[in-house]
Amino acid sequence: MSQQLEAEFVKQLEENQNIVHKICRLYTNDKDAHNDLFQEVTIQLWKAYPKFRGDAKFSTWMYRVALNTAITLYRKSTRRVKTTAYESVQFKVTDMQEDDESAEQLTLLYGAVKQLNDIEKALVFLYLEDKNYKEISATLGISEVNARVKMNRVKTKLTNIINP
Amino acid sequence: MDQLDILKEKWNSQDTEYPHYTTDTIKGLLAKKSTSIVKWLLIIAIIEFAVMTGINFIYSMVGSPDEFTQHMMDSNFVKISWVIHVIAIIYFIFLFYKNYKNISATQPTRSLMKNIIKTRKTMKWYIWYNIIGGFISGIMTTIYMLNNHPLINELMASGKMDGHETMFYVIAFLALTVMYIIFLGFIYLVYMLIYGILLKRLKGNYEELKRMEV
Repeated sequence: MSQQLEAEFVKQLEENQNIVHKICRLYTNDKDAHNDLFQEVTIQLWKAYPKFRGDAKFSTWMYRVALNTAITLYRKSTRRVKTTAYESVQFKVTDMQEDDESAEQLTLLYGAVKQLNDIEKALVFLYLEDKNYKEISATLGISEVNARVKMNRVKTKLTNIINP
Repeated sequence: MDQLDILKEKWNSQDTEYPHYTTDTIKGLLAKKSTSIVKWLLIIAIIEFAVMTGINFIYSMVGSPDEFTQHMMDSNFVKISWVIHVIAIIYFIFLFYKNYKNISATQPTRSLMKNIIKTRKTMKWYIWYNIIGGFISGIMTTIYMLNNHPLINELMASGKMDGHETMFYVIAFLALTVMYIIFLGFIYLVYMLIYGILLKRLKGNYEELKRMEV
């Protein structure tokens, strides 16, 4: 039974893993930390999985657990913070190698979103993922009106970062 | 259409950018240990309970219980405070367990943070309880010892302290009190430091969410 549950979980995560990768990329600066956070998200998802009753879509449920892990539960190691500057450059260079204008713009976007704080990142991420304000407010635990107000502020902030 | 909407389209057109984990890799990850702050909170809490109980235990067991210590241990004051202490520990463990059980990654972010902070608060109260309790029992022991300890009685009877009795008591009392304060202050600082480092980011994020609600 538990093996069946595990197989089911692994399959669903494998299919939806891009959600986690996007969050990892927003909240970490190098590949080690990315993999580390991915691992922690996987563990937290698995831990919470028995409570997942299928009353929501797996992916919807994943957003909440993954964001909570990135914002609240995950602990950045100090060793990594020190090497961030160097490795983030490396990480970006690898992305640029695709030499594709669209990829370049995406890197630019990531760069801008990364300058936001943890909560603002979550708001922007959910917005980019096409979540409505009802879902955003439910995920973060704030009111819908406040989510809207904050989102507008973050939009302005982001525009200012991209077009200084 | 604002700039962010243009970006949104770009965002949604990205596909192959990310590493792809196979089902086998994911399966491997499931066996790994979590390093979440909740786990650290639990570890620290267990250490706290162990250290505090350990200190109390050593305190009452250290050295061979001579007649004087034995007499003190048999006093009603010590017996009653021991019972209160055991009840308090059980109560704190119950509170901690209750808070800990409430922490779930499936909650809205704000409730999750709130629950973690609540758990940490329980531990803070536990530390304070021990510091205040340790201080009171330290002072009581000092007063009792200065009045009843055979060595001090002997010293007083020897006549060496004639004329300086009050001075002796005041200095001895103050010296021991300062010692307790330094020791307990040190314990407090260690815990504040550990929690401070552990929960700094969480506190910042929680404040940010709270600010949004104003």
